[in-house]
Amino acid sequence: MNEILEIVLLSLFVSGTATVIAALIGIPSGIFLSISNFAGKKSVKRVIFTLMSLPPVVLGLIVLLIISNEGPLGGLNLLFTAKAIIIAQTLLILPIITGNIITSTEELSVKLIDTVKTLGGKKKDIIKLIMLETKPFIITAIILGFSRAISEVGAVILVGGNIKGSTRVMTGYITLNTSMGNRNESLIMGGILLVIAFIVNSLLERYRYENN
Amino acid sequence: MKITNLSVRFPNIEMKFTDYEFQSGVTMITGRNGTGKTTLLRALAGLTDYSGTIINSKTMTYVAQEPVLFNRTVYENIIYSLEIRKLEIDDEKIKYLAEKLSLETLLKRNALKLSGGEKIKVSIIRGIMFNPDILLLDEPTTHMDLESIDELIKVIKELKKEMDIYIISHNKSFIDAVMEHEYSLGDRNV
Repeated sequence: MNEILEIVLLSLFVSGTATVIAALIGIPSGIFLSISNFAGKKSVKRVIFTLMSLPPVVLGLIVLLIISNEGPLGGLNLLFTAKAIIIAQTLLILPIITGNIITSTEELSVKLIDTVKTLGGKKKDIIKLIMLETKPFIITAIILGFSRAISEVGAVILVGGNIKGSTRVMTGYITLNTSMGNRNESLIMGGILLVIAFIVNSLLERYRYENN
Repeated sequence: MKITNLSVRFPNIEMKFTDYEFQSGVTMITGRNGTGKTTLLRALAGLTDYSGTIINSKTMTYVAQEPVLFNRTVYENIIYSLEIRKLEIDDEKIKYLAEKLSLETLLKRNALKLSGGEKIKVSIIRGIMFNPDILLLDEPTTHMDLESIDELIKVIKELKKEMDIYIISHNKSFIDAVMEHEYSLGDRNV
């Protein structure tokens, strides 16, 4: 039981940290791309949308090559640590959060900018209003990112190593026990993962209800 | 306000506007669909890039045909321009205008829940709260019923004493009721 609790807490910690980091970068980037016009904007958006569907195992391989002993960040000894999982999950969900914010706020942001301008607002008023008015979309993007991070398997095992007591998260536990024929353990952990997903989505629904 | 050699370029089209000096009072901007009426209002409001000259030293506000209201109460929408300009909130004026446009019972309701016509009325009050010199209205009667149009006509007749109003409309009875000057784009400007 202690092992399961440890794994659940580690999973929540790494995915939560990855989500916070990705949100801190992805929210301003997404809003900036929604409201600004510059040469190459379409290409940047295309790259982000492509990265949204990047196979996690490919991303895991890239991160592995960068942080392995022979890689450029090999000296930091990140391989097979929780930090490596956080890096992989952050890179995985960053385009998901950014891309979702762009697609859900771009049209509304343009209209809000026009409205605020005609009422005499300045740039800071525009940014503040966009943050407030697009809050439901931002929250949705964050929760999508967290859900994607906590359910990730391939990249997590590649860079984390699925080491007991150190880098084993829920999905790694399920994969390992399934391969060993321990279906009951896998089902229990799968149930816990589903409950977490249910709680997160319930919070989102409640938030949406309160804001409408 | 005066426009000279004004034109707005789109990817496949350029809209040119004949020179015009706007007079005080209510000016109707008329013309067939696609002649650039909304483009002209957006250029006057500074929302569209243009070439040529717009001479204007007055403050103005633009109320779009499909206005964007914020996800907050009608009252909070109305006072938005006062908040960002750090101006005093005149509740008497809000109450007066809300009554004139039958919005007095809706001030505490979320603005996104309103009908199209109500949204335009809220948008008009929100636009004029900071006392602009010029009010630009783009098809304000589109979603309004007959009673609302009558209310709007009365409000415009009051407002024109305080500000110039430029309006796009295809509603003949509304045009006849409020028009003092006309800037016709006809169908030759594109």
